[in-house]
Amino acid sequence: MKKLVSLLLAVLMLCTMAACSKGGEGGGTPTAGGTYDITVWVSEVAGIAELTKQQIDRFNEENEDLTFNATIEGISEADAATLMITDVESGADLYCFAQDQTARLVQAGALNVLGQAASEAVKARDDAGSVMAATFGDSLYAYPMTSDNGFFMYYDKSVISEDMIDDLATLVKACEDNNKFFSMNYSSAWYNSAWFFGTGCVSQWITDDTGAFTGVVDTYNSPEGMTALKGMQILAKSNAKNDSGSGEDFSKGSAVVVSGTWDVNTVQSILGDNMGVADLPSFTVDGNTYHMGSFSGGKLMGVKPQTDPEKAAALQRLALYLTDETCQLERFNSNGWGPSNVAAKASDDVQSNPVLAALGAQNNYATVQGQVNDGWWAKAGDLGHLAAQAESDEELQAGLALYEEQVKGLIGATGYVFVGAWNGWDNADLEGFGMEQDGNVLTITLDVPESDYMGGRIVPVTSWDTNLGCQQVTEGADLIVEYDEASNGDNNIIFLAPGNYTVTCDVSTSEIKIVKN
Amino acid sequence: MNENKKHMGLKAKERLSNTVIYAILIVMSIVWLIPFVFLVFESFRVESTYQVGYVIPKQFGFDNYINLFTKTDFPIWFKNTLVIGLFVSVIQTVIVLCMSYTLSRLRFKGRKGLMNIMLVLGFFPGFLSLVILYKVLSWLNLTSANSVPGLILVYVASSGMGYYVSKGFFDTISRSLDEAARVDGATRFQVFTKVIMPLSKPIVIYTILTAFMGPWGDFMLAKYVSHATSAGMNVAVGLQTMISTPASLAANYTMFCAGGVVVAIPITILFMCLQKYYVEGVTGGAVKG
Repeated sequence: MKKLVSLLLAVLMLCTMAACSKGGEGGGTPTAGGTYDITVWVSEVAGIAELTKQQIDRFNEENEDLTFNATIEGISEADAATLMITDVESGADLYCFAQDQTARLVQAGALNVLGQAASEAVKARDDAGSVMAATFGDSLYAYPMTSDNGFFMYYDKSVISEDMIDDLATLVKACEDNNKFFSMNYSSAWYNSAWFFGTGCVSQWITDDTGAFTGVVDTYNSPEGMTALKGMQILAKSNAKNDSGSGEDFSKGSAVVVSGTWDVNTVQSILGDNMGVADLPSFTVDGNTYHMGSFSGGKLMGVKPQTDPEKAAALQRLALYLTDETCQLERFNSNGWGPSNVAAKASDDVQSNPVLAALGAQNNYATVQGQVNDGWWAKAGDLGHLAAQAESDEELQAGLALYEEQVKGLIGATGYVFVGAWNGWDNADLEGFGMEQDGNVLTITLDVPESDYMGGRIVPVTSWDTNLGCQQVTEGADLIVEYDEASNGDNNIIFLAPGNYTVTCDVSTSEIKIVKN
Repeated sequence: MNENKKHMGLKAKERLSNTVIYAILIVMSIVWLIPFVFLVFESFRVESTYQVGYVIPKQFGFDNYINLFTKTDFPIWFKNTLVIGLFVSVIQTVIVLCMSYTLSRLRFKGRKGLMNIMLVLGFFPGFLSLVILYKVLSWLNLTSANSVPGLILVYVASSGMGYYVSKGFFDTISRSLDEAARVDGATRFQVFTKVIMPLSKPIVIYTILTAFMGPWGDFMLAKYVSHATSAGMNVAVGLQTMISTPASLAANYTMFCAGGVVVAIPITILFMCLQKYYVEGVTGGAVKG
């Protein structure tokens, strides 16, 4: 405060000077002939800035009509959104960021929508998960760069043999017996999702076209969630636990570390030939076995909206170039970044990389990380502490109930609505046609009144999703109109006759059952 | 016999209490020194770059220091901080001393009110104004690559409010000296430069030192203002960018420690040379508040 007041005074005194210095610079001045001064933010990881410089230079050579004078800065991709939102105007023209920041960036108006041709090019060449991560509403907002942001297991072959790596309890036991640690950051929501997603829990946030969060589908507080917590206790209650997820833990007495591709060089330098990589193990609770899940994601490149449309178009060409097959493969070769480009993924080098193979194996059990409300991470992370500390099932149950309350507190309303003709297509109508939720199972009993069109579908509150409708009905299909793409593009459930129906839906399997009462 | 024993007892007691005091002091100094020793050891470790579970390196070398100066922008960050430190220490010292002299010697309308306002403003944590400060600087185009002049402006602008210690010191200098000089025909300014200043060496040096050290440790404002532009960072912000993600922490940790050691050097040298005055300055100002 005192700084502010005194600065304002100083500014008054210096305003003539300041006016001069401002006149001198005046924004990102494009000169004639397609030459642009741009700022590019890339990962601060060693080598990436230099590589990007080479790639931009090559672009300049290959495209004679365009020249970019790029200033390249290394940043933490996890902070990119924070940096951009601080001051979009003075932010970079082209920048890389982790995919979970898309919502914030779109909301802040820091991402330029891709044009028609660019969108089609990206959709054709990059994998579905990364395209989804860059999509908001109906538009693409970014260019996928990598598809390797997930976690898997590194292990020390001198302690852990290959026949142990499929079962969590066996691994933990082996670590205990050898006085070693099993390092997994189970008090981080990102990592402890492994247990919840493994048992079939869901946690998804719903956003509208502007990037604002409008709802959440979260089934952690359910019997499956209890199972997950009990699975977590296999590790969290063991003496071998180490609540950390960093490759260097191998030098501090760990035999297993759950981490991602970014740690490969560290682990390699510590373990050498003893480095083993594998997908995560399974865990067994009450006789049932579940394979641990994970989050998967990647990095994206975005273009800042420009006042000069020509510059925007030029930047779009550059972004397309920097995220194409060649450039992605170069980043794979220099830093081991797993490509999102389908052709690059299929190349021999990438296919034979053991670390990416482990990640690929784990990705069969992974959930693509969509947009997540910032407040969620801390709440779900606390569940790790809960598992470590709770002494009884009641405590676990109470912890999950508290979690659910907190998560719902992050947003106004949550849940599903059976929206349709019967409530005037009001998708915010939780009071009237909200579905009762018990774990993954939604239920509603409703009266369908007589009308010309007795249709509707199940949507998360305030959303218009079309993926829970007619085609998902597994029981009671004889009560509704058969699906037809031409007349029923929205996948609506259209009842044949008015009456009283009970509709149940399992969100983990997307199966809908209809019973007439 | 009895008396003799008593004498011995007193000596023994003294020795015992000294032993206890020294034991406590030694333990405290070890606790206090451990982080620094660790930092120095880590900075010379060359067999690996990540954090490890032991302290004494298996292999000593200067690689981290060499890499720090050749492979990162550390020289730029160091230069930026040094420039900021030098400018701020000169300008701030002039402003603070003038301010203190004025408040100590002159009586004018609103003097008390002004002092109270500054006291109250001082209660607000500086980061409250961070966002607005950033906006103002960005309008003046003093962010990103231009953040060095921007930061100097901010640090200097608020310096007038740090007058307490030196005003306290000036208050201890007898007013009759001023009056004698005035009677001899000296102006206010001459009194300040010819009479007060020569008597105030400790406080001048104290002011210079604190002003010079401030910018080395500033992180929050400097991070904001530099806005990810390496050319505009100070050492604190620059070093932090080297370890901001798990991957970069593993790759740069020992180099980061080397950076910490290098940053400590100029400040340590300054302190060693000026330590005598520093203590006088701090205690001198405390006599009359």
